[in-house]
Formats: sequence, structure tokens, C-alpha cells
Amino acid sequence: MVNEYNHETPLVMHIDLNSCFASIEQQSRPRLRGHPVVIVNRATEHTGIVAASYEAKALGIEALMKLRDVRRLVPDVVAIESDPAKYKYVYHKLLAIMQDYSAHVTMKSIDEGIIDFHQAPASIQQRGLETLGYEIKQRLAQEVGVAMRCNVGISTNRFLAKTAAGLHKPDGLDIITPDNLHRVLGDLKLTSLNGIAWRNEARLQAVGIYTPLDFLAASEETLRQIVFKSINGTKWHQRLRGWEVDDVPTKMGRVGRQYVLERFDLTHQEILQRLHHLCESVGWRLRKQGLAARGVYVYAKSAAGYWHACRVMALPFFSNKAIYELAKQLFSEAPSSIKEIGVHCYELTNDEMSQLGLFADEIAHERAVTIASDDINERYGERTIVSADTIDTGIYVSQKIPFGSTRYM
Amino acid sequence: MNTEIELNEQVDVVALFRPGRTMCEPIKFRRKNGREVVISEIGLRHPKPLGARLVHIFDVTDGGADYRLEFDAEHLTWRLTREADVW
Repeated sequence: MVNEYNHETPLVMHIDLNSCFASIEQQSRPRLRGHPVVIVNRATEHTGIVAASYEAKALGIEALMKLRDVRRLVPDVVAIESDPAKYKYVYHKLLAIMQDYSAHVTMKSIDEGIIDFHQAPASIQQRGLETLGYEIKQRLAQEVGVAMRCNVGISTNRFLAKTAAGLHKPDGLDIITPDNLHRVLGDLKLTSLNGIAWRNEARLQAVGIYTPLDFLAASEETLRQIVFKSINGTKWHQRLRGWEVDDVPTKMGRVGRQYVLERFDLTHQEILQRLHHLCESVGWRLRKQGLAARGVYVYAKSAAGYWHACRVMALPFFSNKAIYELAKQLFSEAPSSIKEIGVHCYELTNDEMSQLGLFADEIAHERAVTIASDDINERYGERTIVSADTIDTGIYVSQKIPFGSTRYM
Repeated sequence: MNTEIELNEQVDVVALFRPGRTMCEPIKFRRKNGREVVISEIGLRHPKPLGARLVHIFDVTDGGADYRLEFDAEHLTWRLTREADVW
């Protein structure tokens, strides 16, 4: 198979909701349709936008631009604060539609997922993926709303299916097979390929690979030994030819949250309160996954640049108190003029594996208090019980969209 | 320009319960000041858990403004929680 293309019937479908959060807002508020809309996590001028509607994109607005720059560019842009509960609902509707066709559905993020039809019933496979793709688009409009559109890409592996889904936005449906692979890749840039950002682009260009077609023409040996200097070169060689190399489960490596400060003149104590809030949120997420951690990583972005500190403990911990105590100690070295803070727990282990050491009684007590608080928060709503230190921070550090992960959905 | 007014107003609602996209369709509602709003489109209905309690959010429009109605599934009450407009 070294240089062969995968000629099997394309049975992998990638579905990508177009301008997901902005479309959901335009769906829920009909009078926003046709207006340039951007979604922000907080209505402050220095916040970055997390999504833009197609009307906004047509005017040059892109995700991650600062709201103040967006307003300069398009003064009548409508900025809407994100509403995670709404996006979560649409995510589950999309997931339910996808699961009607195959048991093998993988959501890659809140707005995109993959259906693997290899083991789908014959009655489904026989209908053809193109027909099913159009049906899914129709169902999305009927079951969620007419403003919701999605891109569908079909191919023999996840990489080419995702590439196909990006060819004609919005509302496209494309299929990539060995017959049109050269034509499709011929119209793309290297950085249009998922997984090729500037660093990999530079690696490829260093050996004379300037286009996706050059990439496709490169030998497996060149990619493995010279470009990527690892098995990744072999994987790219196979991936580009339609062989599946990306169907691997991802292991959760860390649990974290970050927060861009609502004002840049907060006192150290006020910043610590927000850090404490993040620790409570991270602790809650950790425990919901049945995990404990051994490591805490904190960072701060300031005028001076990026600062971080971390520490790994001998025994696992999972309570908000333990996470914050460690984070607070680490944060004592943080610089001034901070604009953004973050905290991550890592070295994750199954909570049941937690060992009780010399301080067994103390740990057992802390565990009991934590579990009781979680039970109350579960029953009466998140943040019903919080540390007195973070009572007032909820209006600032509210729960936001979980990008890039669906584990908290 | 987008304006959003947060409210917490109990309203009288006429709703249809029938199979379909939203299952429960508010048709019109009467505000405290007596004004009647006839709903021309339900944008989205989504559930919002408040702990063990469940509130159903209905984002609707009468063509002139967008409204958010919340139906508390435990207490069986309707509240108008937002009025918004864009121009």
C-alpha cells in the first residue's frame, strides 16, 4: 500500500456546523438574521470574538479579533454574549441526528463531528452517503431551525472528509475520492490542510514542498526521515492517500480553565479571587470525570509576556481547596500588570486510585465535605455552594464555551 | 444597534402542546401592562437545568421584537425574561 490510494467506497462523513454559535443566535433571535453578528464571552471592548456570522465574515471580521477592532471595521456589528446552554442543546440535537445513522459517531468539538459508516446497517449504507448528507442537512433545518446550516464532507478517512467539509462554505457537501484528489488538493494551500500550521509548513518548505500536491508527491521516506523525522511522516503519507490513521481515542491529559481579566487594574487580591473561582471550576470538572490530579499549572499573561509555574505532588488530590492552595502558592511569583490567568490540573489519575497517606483522616474529611458540596451544587444548581472568597466573582468568571472538547457536554 | 432588556415578569401564555419541533408552542402572551404579543416564530426552544430543576427557554419573536419566555417545568409558570431588538 506504500504509494496506493484508498479506493474503497467513501464511508466517513465529517459534519461541521457553519458559524455555529452565531448561527444558533440568529436561529433563536430571528431579528438578528441578515445582520453582522459576533459572539463574545464578555461584553468588553478588549475581549476577543469567538464566532462571527456569515454576514460579519463577509465584511472582513474573523474569529479572535478584538471587539474594539471589529467595531472600528463594522460599526453596526451586533455583539452577543455567548449562551453555552443553548449551544449545548444544539450540540446534543446534532449528535442525536448523527447517531440515527451509525453507532460510530465521534464529536471532535462542540460544532463538528464524524460519522463512520463502516459498520452501519446495510440499509443505511445502500442509500449512499451523498443522499444521507443532504438528509442530515434537511433534518438539522427541520429539527433545530432554518438558520442552521452545515458543511458535509465525505471520504475514505477522517482527514480527507474534513478537508472536503471545508471546500464550499457555507452549506456545502463535497466528496473526495482518488478520482478528484489531485484536483481538490491543487486548489488548496498547505496551511488549508488540517494539521499543517506555520511550523509544519516551514518544515515542508525546507525540503521544497510548497503545495499540497508537492506534499502528495513526496515519498514516504522523505516525509518520515527528513520532514517529520518520525512515524508522523508515514502517517501523513497514508493520510493524504485516504487511509485512516486518525481513528484513535484521545486520552484526557489535563483539565483547566483560563480567564481574561475584566479590567487590567485589578489588585493582586482580586486576581487571586478569580484564580480561586477558576480552581473551583476546574475541581468540579475534574470530579465530574471521576479523576484526581497530582499536578497544578498556573499561568499569567502580562505586559511582560507569558509567565507560568507548576508543581507535581506525591499524592493525588481532587478538592477545590487542595487545587487552590497549590495554585495560590505558585501564583505568589506571578508578575504584575496581568491581563489573563489560567489554571490546569495534570498528571490525572482515576480518583479511586487516590491513596490515603499519613493524613488519612484529614483527607477523608476533605473528601466528604467536597462530595457533599458537589451533591448540593448538582441538585440546586452550579455554584450554590462556593467559597466565600468567590461569592462575588460569578458575574465575571461565568462558564463559557468549552472549545475543542466535548467532554463536559 | 442591539438593545436587550432583562426582565422578570410573570405573563399569561396561550400555548399549544403537540408533536413537532418544539412540542410546546407558545402562541401568544399577555404582559402585566395588558399588552398582548402574538408570536410569529419560535426561534429556538432549549432546556436549561437549574440544579435538579428544569426551565424551558423559548426564544420567540412577534416580528417587531425578540422575546425570551421561560417555562418552569416544576412550578408550571411562565416568565418573560428578555425583550430585545436590533436595527
